[in-house]
Amino acid sequence: MGASDPAAGAPPLSIAGLSVAYGERTAVDRLSLEVRSGEIYGLLGSNGAGKSSTIKAIVGLVRPAAGAIRVFGIDPVAHGLRAKERMGYVPETSLLYEALTPREFLEFVASVRHLAPAVASERVRTYATAFRLDGEIEEPIATLSNGTRQKVLIVAALLHQPSLLVLDEPLNSLDPRSVRLMKELLAGYVRETGRGVLFSTHTMEVAEQLCHRVGILDRGVLRAEGSLAGLRERVAEGDATLERIFLRLTEEEAGVAEAIRSLGGS
Amino acid sequence: MAWRDAVRLSSVAYVELSLQAIYAFRQGNVLPAHRSQDLVGRARRRVLQSKVIIAFVLGVLALGASTALRASRQIVATGIVPATLPVGLFDAGVVTGLLSLDIAFLWWTGLQVIPTFLSSGVLPVLEPLPIDDATLRRTAALLYLRLFDLPALTMLVATPVFVGLALGPVAGLAVVPGVLAAVAFALALSLLTGRFFVRRVQGARGGGGSTLVRWGYLVLWVIPAFAMFGFVVAAPAFFSFLEHLATSGSSVGWNLLLATYPFALAALPALAAGGSTGFGFPTGAFVVAAAAVGYAALTGYAALWTLASVRSLGTTPALPAASAPVGRRSVAPTGPAFAVLTKDLRIASRTPGYAFLILLPILDAVAIGLWTYVAASGSSGALSVGIAAVTIAALLATFFGPAFFAIEVNAYSYGQTLPLSNRSVLLGKVALVTLMYAVAAGLVLGLTLLRVFDPGLFLVFALAELPAVVAASFFELGVLFWRARRRGLPIVSLYSGQWYAVLITIPGLVLAGAPILLFHLLSADGGSPALAGMGLLALLELSICAPFALGGRES
Repeated sequence: MGASDPAAGAPPLSIAGLSVAYGERTAVDRLSLEVRSGEIYGLLGSNGAGKSSTIKAIVGLVRPAAGAIRVFGIDPVAHGLRAKERMGYVPETSLLYEALTPREFLEFVASVRHLAPAVASERVRTYATAFRLDGEIEEPIATLSNGTRQKVLIVAALLHQPSLLVLDEPLNSLDPRSVRLMKELLAGYVRETGRGVLFSTHTMEVAEQLCHRVGILDRGVLRAEGSLAGLRERVAEGDATLERIFLRLTEEEAGVAEAIRSLGGS
Repeated sequence: MAWRDAVRLSSVAYVELSLQAIYAFRQGNVLPAHRSQDLVGRARRRVLQSKVIIAFVLGVLALGASTALRASRQIVATGIVPATLPVGLFDAGVVTGLLSLDIAFLWWTGLQVIPTFLSSGVLPVLEPLPIDDATLRRTAALLYLRLFDLPALTMLVATPVFVGLALGPVAGLAVVPGVLAAVAFALALSLLTGRFFVRRVQGARGGGGSTLVRWGYLVLWVIPAFAMFGFVVAAPAFFSFLEHLATSGSSVGWNLLLATYPFALAALPALAAGGSTGFGFPTGAFVVAAAAVGYAALTGYAALWTLASVRSLGTTPALPAASAPVGRRSVAPTGPAFAVLTKDLRIASRTPGYAFLILLPILDAVAIGLWTYVAASGSSGALSVGIAAVTIAALLATFFGPAFFAIEVNAYSYGQTLPLSNRSVLLGKVALVTLMYAVAAGLVLGLTLLRVFDPGLFLVFALAELPAVVAASFFELGVLFWRARRRGLPIVSLYSGQWYAVLITIPGLVLAGAPILLFHLLSADGGSPALAGMGLLALLELSICAPFALGGRES
């Protein structure tokens, strides 16, 4: 895997015309985007914008209603195992095997991913130390805090050094030290050839610091996509923050002002 | 706030509990994309179905006891119970059996539902709200009672009605204290064991030694539920014991039995029906009355304690060890199928419902193996009991096999994102069923060896049956996987309206049982042809079922 991936010629992720529906409700509507090699792509959106549904379709949790997804050129619907071998995934909610300890869980993941014992142990040791999991590695996951569970999920996603990292709000429950560590880790991660990261968040500051390009998702539709500089040009504000760009593009700026007024603010 | 508020809050919490019990979102299940309509309604219907099934079984138990009470003379004539056993003692014995089964079954139900109650997190959601302590306590108590409502109501109504139909209306009324005690004790025991689960099992650290200790706790926990099965097996011996103690035992021993739960409460309807012969007057009647008053007081205490303690159970997080030294950080990855097996055993070691399924066939084998050791008069007797033990272990392992598919609901959404093939999962589950059978058969062999010094036939029998158990597992799990793949759904729980998980065990049991049946048909002609035929049939089944289950390529 990694740099020697046979499908390395294809982009880490490409999506064309993806739609996801839950019964009558359409969560994602004809979405197209691409995560390029060496890129951290930020998927931004309000709550319920369709970020998690998009990610669930990529990792095989939800069957798309329409459209195509390719992970290094591989269709994850038709060839789920081959696509999943190349991906590492951190879900939005830390839902894990509650009855296992982090060590037992990571051992299971390492087994499924066919890692050699020495390699797996070395990586578990390295990441457990980096994320300060040493004290909790033999405690049942059911007894751990949300932040610690999130760290376990991050370590599990990194364990096989995947070519594509798919992260759904990965920093939500982390402490400041771990957030900083994660930012550094991701920035370094994509420097290796052939790797890409898809990163969903609604924290504009994080996206601004970390992402090479962002896509703004609103009610299931991609409103805009590009680098921060490109988006600034689009809203014709040279020094606009990503938050301002986001509110402008999702046409929520006026709505927020109205809401603040109704709450008695200025 | 008043009880009215508690009723309203518990109704809301019950809906959430039903949703989590069926769809297990908080355990990591994913929203079913094509079935998102009316999730709540469907969940409530399935929970109701489960309760109806349990209530039905309890009703059948009461009906069965009623039939036995009405046919006491005919039963005595069959020789199952000693001919000299007075009718009153027979009646008390039957009601003792019924109350024991009732309490065991309701307690077992509690063991199944309490992990869901804890994982649903419904009570912690209410805690931060501005609700006074009394209302929260009442809400928790009402929610807990609703978990058992239909089964408990069935016990409270069906038992007096059926006993009354058999022994008369006064006897029907006289059994009410016994049923009330059974319900109160079962609910209290469920809560006690639930607290034990939170503190000692769910929160226990990892590591080999700790895992062994957890399995030890789980064995202790399973034994009461196992009593349900054991009582049926031991009923004739129980009636002989009653007859022996009543006619030739010491008065101290007899009075001790009269005071023992649930015999003291079971004696009330027998005495009310006029079958006083054998109890011993006036001392026996006095002992029964005094014990009944004592148990009535204990029933009240158990009920009050349960209602006051539910809240603390529902809101107590599983506690990690007080000191947290740096844990072992090396991991030992294996093949995916073996990893599935290890994961399932580790999850079961902290999940009593799954542990029960694994331990029941094994404990059954131990019980029958011990019986072999104690009671068998010679090699041939020990061998036939040993073969019966292995047969039951094979059938139980086959029957519970599909339930292990339900373990996959744990972190289902995360598990789906791993490159884990269905083939690996299937092989892991079949390995678990095979392991259960092998351990059970090994234990029987070990115990039988203490009495029989020529274990060859037994060993060959156990080995000849092995391919049939594996074939049955492949068939059952293969069909379940095929169905789950086709519908894109996990199998959530055997107890949540998934009828096909039960139905599939019927052909599974046929597959596991056919070679044994062939052995018995052919054994009249001698051991070797019978064993050869049995082994060949088992291998034939395996050669058909394994390719069926493992067929189809995934990429």
